[in-house]
Amino acid sequence: MTYYRALSKTAGIVIAIIIIIGIAAGAYYYLSQKPTTTTKLITFVPLTGDFNKDIINVGKALEHDGIKTVQLSVWSGGDPNSIMRIYGIVEAAYRINNIWKQNNINVEIKVSTRYVSNPNDVYEDYINKWSLGQAPDIMANGYTYIASLASEGYILDLTPYLNNYTSFLNQFYPTLINAMKWNGKIYGIPQDTEARPLYIRKDVAACAGLNLAGLADKIKNGQFTWSDLYKWALKVKESGCAPWGLIHRKGSAHPDLIQFIYAFGGKLYDEKTGKLVFDKAAVYKWFVVEKTFADHGLLPHDMMSWDWAKQIHPTVVDGKTLAFIGGTWHWFEWQTKAYYTDPKTGQQRPLTAEEVHKYFYYTLFPSGIKGKPGLTLSQPFAWMINSKAGEQNPDYDKLKDLYHELVFLVVVKASDPDIIAIHSLISGHLPVTKTAAELIKNQTWVNELKNLKIKLAPEVLNNIKNIIEKTVNPLNVQFLANVTYMLEYTTFTPKHPQYPKLASLFAEALDQVLRDKMTPAQAVNFIVEKINADPDLKKSVEIVGEIPQNWTFP
Amino acid sequence: MTREVLGVAKTNLFSKIKDFIRSDAFIFLFPAIILIIVFFFIPIVVSVYMSFTPLKNWNIARYIHEFVGFENYWRFFYMVTHDPTVRPIFITTIVFILVTLAINVLGGLGLAIATFFMGEREAGSTQLLWLLPRMTPIAVYSMIWYYFFHGSAIGTLNSILMSLGIIHKPIDWGQSIIPWGPWLIIIFVNGLVGVSYGMIVFTSAISNIPKELVIAARVDGASNWSITKNILIPLLKWHIVYVTTWQMLSLLTTYDHIFLLVEWGLVNRYYGTTWALYIYNMAFTAAEKDLGLAAAAGVILVIVGAILGLLALKILGFDKMVKEPRGDI
Repeated sequence: MTYYRALSKTAGIVIAIIIIIGIAAGAYYYLSQKPTTTTKLITFVPLTGDFNKDIINVGKALEHDGIKTVQLSVWSGGDPNSIMRIYGIVEAAYRINNIWKQNNINVEIKVSTRYVSNPNDVYEDYINKWSLGQAPDIMANGYTYIASLASEGYILDLTPYLNNYTSFLNQFYPTLINAMKWNGKIYGIPQDTEARPLYIRKDVAACAGLNLAGLADKIKNGQFTWSDLYKWALKVKESGCAPWGLIHRKGSAHPDLIQFIYAFGGKLYDEKTGKLVFDKAAVYKWFVVEKTFADHGLLPHDMMSWDWAKQIHPTVVDGKTLAFIGGTWHWFEWQTKAYYTDPKTGQQRPLTAEEVHKYFYYTLFPSGIKGKPGLTLSQPFAWMINSKAGEQNPDYDKLKDLYHELVFLVVVKASDPDIIAIHSLISGHLPVTKTAAELIKNQTWVNELKNLKIKLAPEVLNNIKNIIEKTVNPLNVQFLANVTYMLEYTTFTPKHPQYPKLASLFAEALDQVLRDKMTPAQAVNFIVEKINADPDLKKSVEIVGEIPQNWTFP
Repeated sequence: MTREVLGVAKTNLFSKIKDFIRSDAFIFLFPAIILIIVFFFIPIVVSVYMSFTPLKNWNIARYIHEFVGFENYWRFFYMVTHDPTVRPIFITTIVFILVTLAINVLGGLGLAIATFFMGEREAGSTQLLWLLPRMTPIAVYSMIWYYFFHGSAIGTLNSILMSLGIIHKPIDWGQSIIPWGPWLIIIFVNGLVGVSYGMIVFTSAISNIPKELVIAARVDGASNWSITKNILIPLLKWHIVYVTTWQMLSLLTTYDHIFLLVEWGLVNRYYGTTWALYIYNMAFTAAEKDLGLAAAAGVILVIVGAILGLLALKILGFDKMVKEPRGDI
């Protein structure tokens, strides 16, 4: 006796037909993805350095190999205004597709994108997914990740490609190209960079009778140092013009404060040994400066745990501090986010471009040593290419080199001056090439951009037009042009895999100093102890110098 | 002679396994055994293996065949014994586990018993209210308490106390009152989440207690307290042991809420960090993800957890509870 009724004959036939159709459809799809040509595959095209010629040759090679569609993916992260970090690639693919169309090449690039708020999450996902073959073909991310990605073989060494593209390479500021190097090889193409100006409130300075005329030059020449800024801050506080003299970013591993180490003549990396450097004297001086500010009520004791949106930005935009150690992107952020409390309505709203221009003076980060020029710090973003770029496309094993060339050329196209200039104008980052910097000064082009009359891929234009409307205006253009000189004074944080650990120790120790839990000397010794407690860090860090015994501030 | 003894022992073992596989107990336990093998046993074996490799940055293909012996364990002990911040972290972990555990078990038990004596509607609403912390996404939940305990005037607690005139300037709860401030915050935040777990287990257990016992006690004029003391708690012994052991092991390895509170600067870095978070930071703070070291630390944590778990079962009298009935019941 059975409890199960056997399938009827008809049902059996129907199921069998469905299975056969399924298998046939799968086989057809698989075969349609395979090159149909029986001739020998073109697996490589010698690059000439002439972009148009090379991209046409690559397109023809792909067409010859039977490839109709190339799927690429790009990931990046950051503030909402920086979405050209992904749309730059979409735009480049659109332009390449047009070149191919004009040359009757029947191949198309399709780009999928992913953009998140925290670039570190993108990095984490990239390394998690690389082994699984799910990492993107292109990633725009901070140059500091180059060391760990390159050492694992996760990103492509671009040096052989760039050897044929020297004129392209020469468009970039040389310091930025140096930042893209690891072990002498270039692993990234600069995507954007920034400066970290010291913002000074014009209205607060005027209230305290401080003369800002020529200050930027004095800082540039090292005539105005942290000692002078301290005296200014004290005057502001004593005259009741603002409750604070200085505000800066919070939290861990932020590079803004690292500028203090350079300002006091210290260093963080030894090129000869390839090791990180912990400069006890420079770090001690940095801590003493901050403690002196905090002890006199010029800087909050709990600065390192202030809330960004509810404390830091409102304090700065409401004019409750003389100075703020910020970044170029803040100029734009204050115009798009409601941090400012309007005294007339009592409501929070963004500042207008005119108000930002009216309230803020900007200059380099002052030196700690008289006569030593001021400085800034950049953390450029880089286009990095996956060492398995193109893997999700047909015949990857045979056509790997060709796909890599294509992805390299896509990144070259994404470095077109207008793409870089648009990103700068809408996000407040600085252009990475001289040609893009020139374009930003071109009033006609800026007006075309503002009026959305420039030619862009429809997908790109739709996604950035709202940001363009809010941010592209003559005052912001002028700001970007005015701060670009800072790149000549820029410094970088090391590209060492252990650097984030060291940076978080700086933040930990500084927090203890500001809260009066440690003296500057104790904090320096605490960092030494922590370095020595971690075998990897101990191996990677050279501890140099001594705590100066007779050094005083201001 | 020895061979014979071994042979007998082997036969006994195999026949015991065979008998177990043929038994009904095996059929009932089969799904759980599969789950334990897939989600616990295999990961443990993989973790132990990883702990002997220099695996980093998830580059499995590159490092998986490299052996470094006990180097990761040596690095772990070196860091623990040389780090000046380990002492406060160790003390914090002990205080955090003991106090949060007491809140979770007693709070859960108290809520389950309290809702037992309530009307159905009130009981449902109360239980739902206490489930909210568990249902809220970790980041959102942590953000709520971040703003509540914030050490400036934007902190809800500070602004309430200031508006009532109890304090005149904001208190940095998690940073200035060391160690009690950060301890209270991390215990409070985690305690609220954990209470609901005990509450559900105890509520479900209470609902299985025969109603006749309670009704009979009521008829005899027993008060709520005496019903609780003489009926409910004795019959919940098993569940109390289970929830205590489970919550203790869970607290030993938890770090998600604490991670955010420390990262956002709400609580002191050393008196707000527990052992699990310390291990996480040790292996994952650098741009390089040191998975070999993390695996070694994880294996040690599992061993510590297993010892503590066994200890808890011993102290709570688990052995007595699983003894064969004496037959005189």
